Amino acid sequence: MTFKTLTKIATGVYLLFSVAFSAVAAEKIVIYNWTEYIPEGVLAQFTKETGIEVEYNTYESNEVMYSKLKLQNGKGYDIIVPSAYFIAKMSKEGLLYPIDTKKLANFSLLESTLLDKDYDPKNKYSVPYVWGSTAIGINSNDIDRQSITAWQDLWDKKWRNSLLLTDDVREVFHMALRVNGHSTNSTSETEIKQAYELLLKLMPNVLVFNSDAPREPFLAGDVSLGMIWNGEVIMAQEEDSAIEYIYPKEGAAIWVDSFAIPVGAKNKDNAHKFIDFMLRPEVAKRTVEYLGYATPNTAGIALLDEALRNNKTIFPPKEIVEQGEFFSDVGEANKLYNKYWEMLKAGQ
Amino acid sequence: MNISTFSSLINFRRVVITLTLSWLTLFVLLPHLMVLLTSILSPDSEHLVVWPITLDNYTRIFEPIYANIFWDSLLLSGTTTVICLLIGYPFAYFLSNMTPTLRVVLLFLMVVPFWTNSLIRIYAIKMIIGKKGIINSFLLTTNIIDTPLQILYTDFAVVIGLVYILLPFMVLPLMASFDKLDKNLIEVGRDLGASAVNRFIHIILPLTAPGIIAGSLMVFLPAMGMFYVADILGGAKTLLLGNVIKNQFLVVRDWPFGSAFSVFLIVLMAALLAIYHRANSYIQQKGGLDDENL
Repeated sequence: MTFKTLTKIATGVYLLFSVAFSAVAAEKIVIYNWTEYIPEGVLAQFTKETGIEVEYNTYESNEVMYSKLKLQNGKGYDIIVPSAYFIAKMSKEGLLYPIDTKKLANFSLLESTLLDKDYDPKNKYSVPYVWGSTAIGINSNDIDRQSITAWQDLWDKKWRNSLLLTDDVREVFHMALRVNGHSTNSTSETEIKQAYELLLKLMPNVLVFNSDAPREPFLAGDVSLGMIWNGEVIMAQEEDSAIEYIYPKEGAAIWVDSFAIPVGAKNKDNAHKFIDFMLRPEVAKRTVEYLGYATPNTAGIALLDEALRNNKTIFPPKEIVEQGEFFSDVGEANKLYNKYWEMLKAGQ
Repeated sequence: MNISTFSSLINFRRVVITLTLSWLTLFVLLPHLMVLLTSILSPDSEHLVVWPITLDNYTRIFEPIYANIFWDSLLLSGTTTVICLLIGYPFAYFLSNMTPTLRVVLLFLMVVPFWTNSLIRIYAIKMIIGKKGIINSFLLTTNIIDTPLQILYTDFAVVIGLVYILLPFMVLPLMASFDKLDKNLIEVGRDLGASAVNRFIHIILPLTAPGIIAGSLMVFLPAMGMFYVADILGGAKTLLLGNVIKNQFLVVRDWPFGSAFSVFLIVLMAALLAIYHRANSYIQQKGGLDDENL
């Protein structure tokens, strides 16, 4: 076979592929979501109903998602699911495309308390997907759950080398800031430094940092106490009901993750269709059942079993929400947090 | 061979060379140049990098906090290298003395795990050494211990993971050295009355030194960069140099500093390779024998 025939074949194959690709590309959506953050079967149902192919990618931190979009100037994905304080940051930097809520038939189902927040006035760039909290996880077989009531309790010397912390700078600092009586969203260098000094004293107690799936070390029996997200506890309870959730008296950290459309998205219409699909009461219901996080969708909540609807781990009582604090963008103070976070990790 | 096939052969060679060169330019040279450029730019919270050229990123590497991480990283990688050498050296020696068939089988067994992604194998180790893992369950049921050992999420666990992944990189160069070793020299040593210890110190060790150095480099350098082993088995507490770089890129978003750190590691690696080259040619020059003492 001569080289010419080889090239001919190669060109042929290439053409064939590009034709196949463009056929698929006609109706497509690229989603970039947190790991384990969508109920099983939902994507398949979406494709079946709309004919839109889904390309699904995942990330495990806001920072990773942000870095990627920043680098690609907001191109490459049609749907992302940042936390509230990243919505603020990214919209300020022009990375997000305004969402037309008129195209979302189900938008009116959303709870008004989670709409029109400081991080995104009038929900110009984001539609809330789920919300949850970061508090204390405990294995009640190993530790008496009555003995832990506050973040402060984690500093007890008897927990040497045994705690789990999430690998997230803002969440870990939340704990120390609140113990010191300061705000989660403090931008004062003295307060952040004080929090760091307090955290230094916590470090001998820390066994592991985990933000992939904090429930895993609990389930594997490697830790019995530490920070965790409420949804992880719900998932863990399916395997081991001894894993419980405690709202510390200094206040839990509360966060909302919302759908947003990057400014460079290729399939903006499909992205709207997808968001509206996810806002269906039946999908919202399945989301709570699968993820263990709360939905802001009132019609979805109404569909839930009474046991789930009244589960305090998923839907915290009003006073706990008021006592807790939502994360917001701290702007330039991010540098301070990161600086002290690195020093903390390097053991200085 | 007629002319047309001959010319198509030349064409083919040209195509292969062009392909390889463009591949290397596109995926090796260009990215490295980008890293180099990024390392002298300034960080910015809204844009990844901004213009004024600066060397600050390089001076920051020498701040005490990074000296600390560097030292820890060095210690972990060093321990890993020594353990790999202690296990790999005798193993390579036995391998080189085996019948060819047995040797192929053993080498095959050593390489087989490499067909599985190393990340998955690290997760497997996690399940073995965890509090409810195989080791602890065994020791508990046999009443050798009464509280589970804390192996997972310690520096020791990181070393276990690193040794496990990197051992073959120590064994293969050592085996090559043992293969080249002229058995007659050992015979001569024995005939001239050298004891086993003396034969080892004066003949075997110097002649396999290139293998020792090559193997050590191939273990030591990657060990400093394997951030996922430190993350998964060390509980993301201990930082290897690779963790610092990863954090700069993904969490802190200080790309210039992350790049400067990468360049620093590359330079370090080049320096070690240069030392290896020197040592190697020195050994070649002396015929591999430290004859002064003989």
